[in-house]
Order: sequence, then structure tokens, then C-alpha cells
Amino acid sequence: MKKTLIILGFIAAILAMILSATPLSKIAFIPCVLAFVFGISAFVISKDKRTSKKSIQLIFLMTTLALALTTYKAIFTTAELGNTEQLQQKEEQLEDESLEDLEDLDIDEIDIQ
Amino acid sequence: MTSLIAVSQNNTIAAGERLTFSASYNMSGLLTELAQVNMETSEVRTSKSTLFRLKCTAATYSKWDSFFKIRDLYESYVSPKTLTPYLYNRDISEGGYEKFMKYKFNHKTHTVASVKRKKRSDGTTWEEKKNVSIGSSTKDLVTTLYHIRNLDIHKANIGDSQNFTVLFDNKESVVNIKYLSKETLNTVLGKKECYKLAISINNSDVLKGNNDNLLWLTADANKVPVYAKFKIAVGNGELKLKSASGLKH
Repeated sequence: MKKTLIILGFIAAILAMILSATPLSKIAFIPCVLAFVFGISAFVISKDKRTSKKSIQLIFLMTTLALALTTYKAIFTTAELGNTEQLQQKEEQLEDESLEDLEDLDIDEIDIQ
Repeated sequence: MTSLIAVSQNNTIAAGERLTFSASYNMSGLLTELAQVNMETSEVRTSKSTLFRLKCTAATYSKWDSFFKIRDLYESYVSPKTLTPYLYNRDISEGGYEKFMKYKFNHKTHTVASVKRKKRSDGTTWEEKKNVSIGSSTKDLVTTLYHIRNLDIHKANIGDSQNFTVLFDNKESVVNIKYLSKETLNTVLGKKECYKLAISINNSDVLKGNNDNLLWLTADANKVPVYAKFKIAVGNGELKLKSASGLKH
């Protein structure tokens, strides 16, 4: 039981760390909570026994790091638009091309239909 | 089923209108902003006629650019009076995948001259030209979006629906718009009463669920799209209006 919880805790903690490093960092809150739940459960189960709690501590450490990074990102980063110069050039180029294509079109004739 | 009142006259869209949206991914309430979507209209002139250019662009926010960069452009050149499309361009660049589509509509012969340009993995491009026959009311994607706004929803009853035939990737598909209810939403334009519409595409699994793909238009003469929600495999996608300028009414 304890082993299973520790393994699940590790998986959740690693997932939380990976997610917190990506732009999808907000979703890392979910594995963070899971890792804490698994970690605490494993801790409670092994409370009375004289077994090593190093691995559980590691889970907590990883989760705390992921949580700190996620929270930092959620508060301090704002969604900003990157470089759209290429897109603007494309817009202008397409407008020129399209107007050339439309040059022979007589819109009034068609609109009256 | 009765139909929403489809008008042929444009009473809603003016040149110089600019709407900015933020597209987000929503998983269990955790909102991640993905991209900015712009919808702009402008007036363009050829030597013989004046047209509206309806332009929609999507660009991912900078934090995504190194993971999956999207720079999409969809545009349509339409008649200012009836919003009938004459030329449609779609130029997409999504994480290295590039594609260009052009449709030139001929409404007399009910055909579309389509040009498809794609980039191969080695950097070279190939082109495919095709003539596609279309129905008399077939439109492109961008024009359809603006036509939805031009529906006379105030005359329609709850439960009414309207079909649009849309040409996409050289294939015609039927898009169904259903008027579900009126709802009041908090938007950047203030607290607004909105029409809640459900969008579905017949014979397609792009949009999942039943009545889960929703669009809210303000219940006034401008019918500004303020909010849209899409159900995808994991979680929801949503589009929220961030700013609007140059509205007609």
C-alpha cells in the first residue's frame, strides 16, 4: 500500500514538474494536489513504522518546486502576442494579389440578380 | 423545424470594424490562454467596384511560439450590400505545417476555381488547381461567420435553426445554427443581453457533443460575437471578446 502510494506520488510529482515548465503550467495544479494527497497518505501510513521517509520527502520537495513555479507563472506572466511581422506582410501581399484577381469583376452586375 | 430569418441585405457589418478575441483552453476551470484572434473588416477598391475585406487572423501568444507557433489568416472579399463572397484566401502556418487555399467564386456558373498550395517537408511547394461546383448559396467559412451575425434573430423564435453550406477544403458541408435562448453575459462591452446559438456541422466529428458548441451574439443591431465555447476531446476551448471598435450601430 505504502509503495503504491509512493509510486503514484512520484508519478504525479514528476508530471507536475514537467507541466509547470511548459506554457500549460496552470494545469500542473492538478498533479500537484494529487502528489500532495498521495504523499500525505503514504506519510500517515508509515508514521508508526520505522521505515525511511526519504522518498516521501522527495515527493513533497518536487511538488513544492512545481507549485512555486506554477504560482509564479500564473501571477507574473501575461499573455502577450509574439512577433506577427510575417503575418502582417502576408496580409498585405495577399491583399495586393487578391485585388489583382478581382480587377475584372463587375460586382454591380452580379449583385442585381 | 422553422428557419431563422436569413436576410440578403447587410444591415450589421460596417467597414473598419475590429474585434479582438482571446482563445483559451479550459480544463476543469484552469484557463490557459493560447492565442489572439482578430476579426477585421475594411473597404477595398478595384477600378470597377468596392468590396469589403473580411479578415480573420489567429496568432499564438509568445509563450507558445517555441512550442507550437500558429499564424493563420482567413479572409474573404465580399459584396458590401449582400456579403456575397467573390474571393477567399486561407493561409495557415501551424507548427511548421503550411497551407494556402484560394477560392474564386463564380456565381453565374456556380463554380469555384480553387488553388491549393502546400509545403513539402523538404521546403518545396506544390500546387493543385481545381474547379469545384457549388450550390447557389454556398459560402466560404469567413463569410458564413459574418452571415450568422446578419441573421434577423430578433424576428426568430427560440428553437429555430438555419443551415449554411460552407465550402472547406474543396468540400461542401452543412453547418446548422440553432437559436437556443437569450442570456445575459458580462462582457467587455458591459452587461449584455445575448442570443445563445448552438453550432453543429452535419456529418463531421470536428465539433463534439450536442449543443456543446455555443456562440453568444449581443442581442442588439450589431450582434457582436462576445463569447464562444467549443467542446474538444479533453476539456473546452473558448473565445472571449477582448475589445471591439468601429461597430456599425
